[in-house]
Parts: sequence; structure tokens; C-alpha cells
Amino acid sequence: MAEIMMEIRGLTKRYGDHTVLENIDLDVKKGEVIAIIGPSGCGKSTFIRTLDLLEKPTAGHIMIDGEDLNDPKTNVDEILPRIGMVFQQFNLFSNMTIKRNITFAPVHHKLMNQQQADEKAMELLERIGLADKADAYPSQLSGGQKQRVAIARSLAMNPEIILFDEPTSALDPEMVGEVLNIMRELAEEGMTMIVVTHEMGFAREVANRVLFIDEKVIKEDGTPEEVFHHPKNERLKEFLSSVLH
Amino acid sequence: MKKKKLYLPVLLAVFMLVTALTGCGGSDSHKVTKAKDLPGARIGVQVGTTGDSFVTENYEKKKGTDIQRYDKGADAVQALKQGKIDTVVIDDQVAKAFAEKNPDIKILDEDLVVEQYATVFAKGNDELREKFNKGLAAIKADGTLDKITDTWINKKGKYHYKKKVKNGPKLVIASSIDFPPYESFDGKGDIVGFDVEMLYAVTDHMGVSVEIQNIQFDSIIAAVDAGKADIGVSGFTITEDRKKSIDFSDSYIDTAQVMLVKGSGSDGAASFAEKIHNNFVKDGRWHYLLRGLGITLLITFFAVILGILFGFLLAVIRVAYDKNGSLRFLNYLAKLYLTIVRGTPVMVQLLIIYYVVFASVNINKVFVAVVAFGLNSAAYVAEIIRSGIMSIDDGQFEAGKSLGLKFHTVMIYVILPQAFKNVLPALANEFISLLKETSISGYIGLSDLTRGGQTIQSLTYDALLPLGAVAIVYLVLVVGLSTLVGKLEKNLKKNER
Ligand SMILES: Nc1ncnc2c1ncn2[C@@H]1O[C@H](COP(=O)(O)OP(=O)(O)OP(=O)(O)O)[C@@H](O)[C@H]1O
Ligand SMILES: [Mg+2]
Repeated sequence: MAEIMMEIRGLTKRYGDHTVLENIDLDVKKGEVIAIIGPSGCGKSTFIRTLDLLEKPTAGHIMIDGEDLNDPKTNVDEILPRIGMVFQQFNLFSNMTIKRNITFAPVHHKLMNQQQADEKAMELLERIGLADKADAYPSQLSGGQKQRVAIARSLAMNPEIILFDEPTSALDPEMVGEVLNIMRELAEEGMTMIVVTHEMGFAREVANRVLFIDEKVIKEDGTPEEVFHHPKNERLKEFLSSVLH
Repeated sequence: MKKKKLYLPVLLAVFMLVTALTGCGGSDSHKVTKAKDLPGARIGVQVGTTGDSFVTENYEKKKGTDIQRYDKGADAVQALKQGKIDTVVIDDQVAKAFAEKNPDIKILDEDLVVEQYATVFAKGNDELREKFNKGLAAIKADGTLDKITDTWINKKGKYHYKKKVKNGPKLVIASSIDFPPYESFDGKGDIVGFDVEMLYAVTDHMGVSVEIQNIQFDSIIAAVDAGKADIGVSGFTITEDRKKSIDFSDSYIDTAQVMLVKGSGSDGAASFAEKIHNNFVKDGRWHYLLRGLGITLLITFFAVILGILFGFLLAVIRVAYDKNGSLRFLNYLAKLYLTIVRGTPVMVQLLIIYYVVFASVNINKVFVAVVAFGLNSAAYVAEIIRSGIMSIDDGQFEAGKSLGLKFHTVMIYVILPQAFKNVLPALANEFISLLKETSISGYIGLSDLTRGGQTIQSLTYDALLPLGAVAIVYLVLVVGLSTLVGKLEKNLKKNER
């Protein structure tokens, strides 16, 4: 049994009277690649953003190493750098070069000195095939290139888990592949990942667990085989037939 | 880019239009040859003087009378020469001085009111006032005052009183140095005149030194009242109205109000080269502009720094509240500050800071101007920077947070550099208008660029050349700065895209 790295209990998120997520429980094991699917507006982004405290949970616990992210007494500054996040819109720092985008946070957190960070950045850039863009600015890159850099930027922090919120939705179709390939490699290396995605192919092939969120809760939770080929929930069946055709 | 090329011709067109409207399009003239002609005439006066109150009291309500109030006697004379007004009502000695230098104007042989001049003291400052009166009595008794009167008023004799006590206890004197023969600048920039020598003689008797500050006539009483100056010496006539707010010394001279009108004599039309020489070269008058420019730049420079620092602080408080809901109370104060500063004229703020906030301290005026203009500019800078920050995509904040960076770290390294670049043109425009706004510094007695031009004007009775020169200096500065900013902007853009 792999060890549990994140334990989510009773997670609830409301905007005023409007409840988006209600009482969600989930254990994330080390090395797991979890794909989250569900209809638009069901709360996938909200869910994944609460795990990095970009949205403040209304109630519930997010436990990492026995510490609760949603407890005011917890020093979240020590935990948050261990959780990486990749956004649909990339969100690279526009005023920094590609290399500085990658080295800024690790150097700022004193995880490494500038020289080590530069070396690490070049290593990562080699790996995603963008070493020649080290001194370029984000506006000089294509969408697919930006998203690959965004992944490299979160990798530079040596995170224990990376959260992806629809990382390929803003890309032209011909660039989707280059980003998914890198994510596939990460999965194979054993990185723990939670990926909100519309790419059913990716969910089926790369993820080892698929969650279907609908009507404020996780309606179905299983292997890709179970979720895609033997769906039990009626809403999931409807959803699958609408996205797969 | 197109805008810039349009700038000059448009400016010239507007300039000519204004000149045409104010200079040549004067309303129907009305010949004044005696006091009976005053009702219905266009009458010029120096604001706050006896002439002003006399004319206002007696003629304001009369049909067709148009009273024009000028800051300086010289401005009124200028207007008379240009035919904008029919007569100027002013003190006879001052009128004589003007008539001497301007062959084309003359004094009508009819006194309007006779009055007495005295110096002014804050109410209740009896000790100083009595000492002054004693000194005055002494120079009347020993003939000194008569000799000074002969030199300056009757224009006979070469007697000049030289100040003897130059150190030790010092009195601050408020005077509007634009009122010859009572007080004016000589060619070297020294303050001279009847009042000045009278003051020197009296204060020598008192055993004290003096520092004369050049303050707009209608602000002198306020300055004395606020303790900014100990004595006001500026050809003040004793009136019941004034007695309500200040106390007068004994009178030191009697004068009358007379009417100046346009005469038949010619202006002795000087050639353009002569005029240039007279306005700028003679007696090194260009120094007024140069020194004024220095003060204008000094005020602008430090006001910009204060404006950026304080404006920045205000912006960050506002943004912290907008984005995080933190600093609620400070945000409230900041908003209040912005409303007040942006809702009142900078001129009023300058006067309040000088006469109210720093009322009881004798403080460097450049410092006062820097504080006033800096605090004013901060309000505009704050809103510019805030809008710059708010225009940056939230994703930049979120990316920072997801990397475990704190709000202020993201702010300093990611948001502000981008925001600054976006608002650079707006900021530069703010500072360019700040440069122009400092032209009101003369109101607290600073000799800035504009005031330098006005000083030359009061010496030469020529408006176009000194004021034109001032305008050109401002224009060159503004256009130069705009060009510089444009270049900087281009460089910043190149860096990133
Ligand atoms: N700041 C907010 N204030 C109020 N309601 C919000 C806010 N953010 C999200 N919501 C609501 O929460 C619900 C879930 O939104 P969310 O963005 O998580 O959906 P999603 O599953 O990611 O949808 P999509 O597939 O379109 O990205 C929506 O009904 C949305 O309107
Ligand atoms: Mg979403």
C-alpha cells in the first residue's frame, strides 16, 4: 500500500448562499495520477484551487503530513511551496525571462542559490526542449511553450504534488500533444498529480484514478477502466456520452 | 506622434486668439479727465489698496462702472497703456514713479482722498509696536525722515540711509516689493525705497536687524496675523476695516489717491533689440529667470520624490484592501485623503499649508512648497499606480501564491514592475503638470521662474518679453521631458516584447 500524502475530509465551499462543494472526502496516495472530470461549472476548478488555498475552503480539512491547511494555526507558508500548480492560462511572470521565471521562487525560498537554480533551470529547459528560450520573455513564446515552462517552473520547487487546472484547454490543438507528453513522463516518474481535464484520452491512458464531480460531490471514483467502461452513475453515463461523441 | 506635430501650431493659434480677444477687442472706451468721469468708466486698481476700497465704495454700484483689480500696480498701468482700462486709481507717489517711466501716461491734477501710511503689527503685539513708535518719533525729530522723504518722494537730494545694525535680534518684515518709490527691487535685486530706508532707520534706533520677505500685498496682513512676519511695511493706509484685524503704528507719511490716464506722449517706441537688452541684459536681469528656474526645478524635483513615495504607499494600502480586504481602516483614511486633495485646488492647499499648518514655525519656503506640491501630487500618483496594479491579471498573483510567495514579494517583484511600466506615461504627465503647477509658488513669496518673469515685468513695465520668456522656458522643459519619457517607454517595451 502506498502511503497517503493528502487527506481531504468534509471539504465544503460556498459563495454566499451558493454551495459549490459539499462535504468532500478524498485520500490521495503518493504517486497517484488523478484525473477529475465533470460538466462545466460543477466545481472542478474550485476543488483543485482550494487544495492550494487559492480559494479559502468554507469548512473541512486538508491534511498533509498531519498538518491541516485549513487550520488558522498551521504555518501554511511551509506547506504551500510543496504543492505545485499549473494553470489553464499559464500565468508566467510577464516581466521576467523564462529562466528567471523558473529560478525566482526556489532562490527566494532559499532552497538553492542562484547558481544551483540556474543549473537546474537549464536542466529542466533541456528536458522540455526549450533551452534556447532561456533568455526570452513569455510574450515571445507560443501557448504550448509557455505551458511547458509553467510546468518546469513548478518542478523547480521540487513539489510533492502538482495540481493541474485544464492545462491544455487554452492551447491550439497542435500544441496539446507536447504538453500532455511532458505530463505523461512526469506520471511515469512517479509524480503525484491531480489533473482537471477535458482530455478524456489522457484521463483514460495516463491517469490511474478518475473522479467524476457533479452536484457538489464526487459522484464516481474508480480506475479509468471502471469509470469509462463500466459507469454506474446515470449522470456520468450522460456526461460520457456527451463528451465522447 | 501626430499629436506632437500639431502641438506648436495649435498653441500659437490659441495664443494669438487670446491676445486678439483681450488686447484689441477692448470694450468702448470712456474718457476720464476728472473725478466726475469715474462713474461708468473702466477703472484699474491694485487689489487690497486704498484705491481699491475707495473706488469700490464710491463707484462699484454705478451703472457701467467696471473695476479691474490687479495684483500689482504695474499690471494696472500695463492695462491702461494697452487701452484695456480708462484710468488707474493709485497712490500719488506711486503714480509719479509710473508717470516718469512711461511718457504716454499722465496724472490728473485732482486728489481723490488723502490718507496716512503706517506699518502693521499683529493685534496685541503692543510691546513691539511701542518700540517702533519710539524709533519713528526719534527719526522724525532728528530730521532723518525728512531727508528720506526728500530723496524718494520729492526727488531732491542724494541722501540715502544705510542700515547699521545687521546682526543680533532680527525682525521679519513682510512687504510687497512692487510699489515704487516705497519698495521695489533695484537693478541688482536689492530691495530699496522710501519704506525700506524708513524701516532701516527706525529699527536701528530699536537696535535690531531685519529680514524683508517679498509677500503678495493682499497676503501681508494674514502673514503678520499668523506670526509669519513681525511687521508689515508696504505702504499700508490706516483704515477702520484693517484696524479690526491688526494694529497700526503711528503714521509716517501722508499721501493722496490720484488718477492715472493715458496721455498724448509717445511710448518712445524702443526697438526690439533695445527691449531685449532692457528686459534681460541690463543689470543682469536674466538672473531673475535663471534663479527662478533653479527654484522651480528644486521644488518640482523634491515634490516628485515625495509624491512617488507617499503616492506609492497610498496605492499599496488601497490595493491591499481591494485584493485581500486587509487594512480596512487605513484604506478608509487613504480614501478620505484622496477625496480631499483631489477635490480642492492646489493653490488653496498651498496657502493652507503655509498659513495654517506651518503657521507658527519660521520655515524654509521651498520646503513648504515641496510638502504642498508633493502631498498634492501623491493623491494623483496613488490613483495612477493603483489603476496600474489593478490592470495586472489576477493570474500573476495566483501564480506567485502557488509558488509559496508572499503577497508583498509578488507585489514587489512581479506586479509593480509591470504596473509601473503600464502607467509610466500617465505618471510622467502627472509630473509634467506638477512642474507647471509650481508656478503659483509666488503666492507664498517664493521667487520661482514665473515670479522671476513678473519681477522683470515690474521693473521694465513690459509684459510680452519677460512673460514670453517664462512661457518658452516652461515649454522647452515640458517638451523635453515628454520626449525623454517617450524614449524611455520605447526602451521598456523593447526589453519585453
Ligand atoms: N468567486 C466566485 N463567486 C461566486 N461564485 C463562483 C466564484 N467562482 C466560481 N463560482 C461558481 O462556482 C461554480 C463552480 O465553478 P468552477 O469554476 O469551479 O467550475 P468548473 O467545474 O471548473 O467549470 P469549467 O469546466 O467551466 O471550468 C460555478 O457555478 C461558478 O459560477
Ligand atoms: Mg474550471
